[in-house]
Parts: sequence; C-alpha cells; structure tokens
Amino acid sequence: MNGEQSGPGLRLAEEEAKDCTRLALAIGTGDPGAEREFALRYLPRVRAMLLARSRNADVASDLLQDVMIEAICALRRGQLREASKLTAFVLAIARNVLNSHFRVAARQPESLEFPDNLPDLTAASDDVENAQRSNLAMRAIAGLHPTDKAILQLTLVEGLKPGLIAEKLRLSPDVVRQRKLRATRRVVEFVSGQSQNVISSHSLTGKVS
Amino acid sequence: MTRCSGTPAEERALAYIEGTLPEMEAERFEEHYFECPVCLAYVQAIQAVGQELAREPAVQIEEVRRKPLLGWPTLVWALGTAAALVVLGAGGIRIFGPHPAQPSQARIAPAAPSQAAKAVPALPVRQTAVQLADLALPVFAAPNLRGAGVEAHFEQGMSAYGHGDCLGAVAALVQVPAQDKEERQAEFFSAACRMHQGELAAAGAGLRKVMDEGDSPQQESALYYLAQIALARNDPAGAHRYLLRTISLRGDLERRARLQDQKVLAVMDREREAAKLKDVK
Repeated sequence: MNGEQSGPGLRLAEEEAKDCTRLALAIGTGDPGAEREFALRYLPRVRAMLLARSRNADVASDLLQDVMIEAICALRRGQLREASKLTAFVLAIARNVLNSHFRVAARQPESLEFPDNLPDLTAASDDVENAQRSNLAMRAIAGLHPTDKAILQLTLVEGLKPGLIAEKLRLSPDVVRQRKLRATRRVVEFVSGQSQNVISSHSLTGKVS
Repeated sequence: MTRCSGTPAEERALAYIEGTLPEMEAERFEEHYFECPVCLAYVQAIQAVGQELAREPAVQIEEVRRKPLLGWPTLVWALGTAAALVVLGAGGIRIFGPHPAQPSQARIAPAAPSQAAKAVPALPVRQTAVQLADLALPVFAAPNLRGAGVEAHFEQGMSAYGHGDCLGAVAALVQVPAQDKEERQAEFFSAACRMHQGELAAAGAGLRKVMDEGDSPQQESALYYLAQIALARNDPAGAHRYLLRTISLRGDLERRARLQDQKVLAVMDREREAAKLKDVK
C-alpha cells in the first residue's frame, strides 16, 4: 500500500501539501469556513482510525470529538510549525488522545473545557454516508454464503485467527484464509462500489467530495 | 502512483482492521490511508461490515458445519472413491465443472446430501418464521455516570450476564428491589436470559411487563424481543405487530426491525399462498 510515488503521484502529494498549508494557515487566521472544511475532511479518517484502534464504536465516537476539538484549537493557536504536515499532525493528535484514553480508562474521565464558536463537528453529510455504508454492508452480508458470513463474523467480531476458525468450522486454515479474503473482497466491492463516494482510481488529494 | 488494489494490499488492510498488523506497519498504513481515498474506503467498508455483523445473531457453528463443504482434501478423496463416481455419474459434474478456477464456489451445494448431485442453482433461502427468530442476548451498555451508584444485585446479575451466565444473571436480577431505579432494566435482562435459554413463556411475560410500564429505555428492546419470541413460536403475524410497534418508536432498533419485518411479511405471504393452494386442492 505504501509504494514509491512516481511522477503523477508526486504531483498529487505536492498539491496535497499545498492544500494542507492553505487550510492550516486559514484556520490560524480564524476562518470558520476553513475549520468546517477541515472537519469535513478529517472526520471520516479519524473515525476510521479510532474505530480500528479502539474496536469500540462508542469509544471511537466519543474520542472523535476530542480529537477534532484538540486539533482545531491547536491550529487556532498556530501550534503547527510545518503547515504542510497537517495530516501527520492530526494523526498524531488522534494517537495521543487514544493513548490518553487507554491510560486513564481506569480513572475518572477528565472534563474538557470546550471553547466557544467551534464548527459543527457532527457533520450531517458524514452521518448520511455512514448510514448509507451501513445499509450497503447489511445488504452485502445478506448476499454472503453462510460459511463466508460465519468466517467474517468470527474474524471481525470475535477477533479469531484463521486457525481457530478453521477448527471451529472444520475447514483447513488455508480454506478459511482464502474464503475470508474473497468474502471481504466481495463485500468491500459491493459497499465501496455502490456508495456515493466511489473512487475508481488512486489519488492522493484526500479531499472529501 | 501507489498500488492500492490486489491481494497484498487487501490483506494488509484486513490485518490492520483485525489488529494483527505490526505496530510500525499499522502506523505507516494509517499515514497512508489518511491521504488515500481508495484505502480509506476499503477500511470504512470493512468496518461497516464488521459493525453490521456484530449486530447479527452469533454464529451458529453447528448450522454452518452442517452445510456440505467439500474442502480440497475431501474432494480429492471423494474423486478417488466410488462415491465420487456416483456423484459424477448422477450429474454432479455440473456442480464442479463450470467453475474450475473457483474451488470455493464449487463447494456451494444444496443442504440435503441426497440433492447434492442435482446441481440446484443458488436460490434465495426461504426462511421460516422460527428461523427468523433472533434469540441472541441483547447487548448491555453499562452506564458511565459519575456518582451513579448501582444496586448490588443488579451489578452482580449484569456481571454474570456479561460472562454469558444466564442462570447466575437471572438469580441475581430477580432480587433487585421493586422500587429500585434498575428494576425495569433488571426485569428486561432477566427476560432476555430466559428467552435465550428457551423459556419463552416466562420471557414473554417479563418483556410484556416492561412494555406495559410505558416509556423507558428498555421499551423498544422489549417490543423487539417480543417479536422474536412470537417468531420462535411460529407466530409471524404476532411478530409483525410487535415489529411495527418497535419501528414506530424510531429508536436504535428501527432499521433492524424494518429489515426483519420485510422477511416476516415474506413468510406470511408464502403461508397465505400455501393455504390458498391447499384450499384449491
């Protein structure tokens, strides 16, 4: 996934860096439109990351707001030294927030003081996309063979490894791996292919359409 | 351009979601998909599927095992035996023949072994009302409020519930005092445990009590699970009524109830058709 970038890829990366710089500087000057654009752009990515790391949709949803608020406040204060590295900056904040959450999980949660005039971080369009994606996922699952569905459920929900799944379903681990990959490909193609944000080719712009 | 499609890329994304990717690689992948819409869409799609699967009833291992899956070793063995000759001779070649490059497809066969040789095309599964019943234990979300003391029996019961110990959970939950603020929740979860254990009458009574007490966080779930009990008793019409009431509350279970209601209506249609045919005969 992280191959080397050739000519066109490099140009896209440069454009991305310029775009990040523009956005970071605009937020620094107090442009609410830029904050909104920032939220629209990074909400889905940060949510995906938090969900993957926490494996808990509720935790991810709670921390998502914290990450976005912390990032916007830091940008308002001009804490990002290299504006072109906005993505890495957001990712670092997300990791910090997540690590802090796990560190203090056993203790009482800290109360955050939210600044005024924050942009709408609920992102209705993002919610609609999520709902559409869930709907498509449900339809994709309904079309799976019961064995494939069981393999995906044991993998993604129960977190079991192919060897254990193979044992449970009396299949060989290779068959489980193969079926898992094929089933995943099928459902991902269905969900991604039918969602409104279909992206047929790889681009590095990272803009939320 | 980086390559974000193909098996290695998919395996990496899947390993990331599963949490099996080494930390350094996981961080690199995060840096990548934060700027790559293709990989982000892949991650989001798998996450959506995972979340939907988490809402589905738990895998019934025995059910899945009963599906005739011919793994390659079995297939090789089968082809070398008289049984294979019987299968091929009876037209089984039609199952395995058209998909030489897709062994997993070849294993999709009808449920009854006696029908395996008939090469029945894949048809949508016609579920009965009973098969539609979702009797899995509902998820318990522990309250996260500071200063909110929890009644001891309730805490003990829900701890047992969390470990899947339905008997222990019911034993503790029935001791929650009637005036306690957790009483309705205790009633709901003990009914859920009874439902899960197959004590449908007792479960139904408990859930109806929760439903009759009116507006509460458990009301929607009580209606939904009353529908499940109706299905388990092969009463699709009753299930349909409860599902409509669940949907009308516009809560978390609305979508799930809508989806299931469509299936229930299909079952009811089939039953009506079957009854008509019987009358004609």
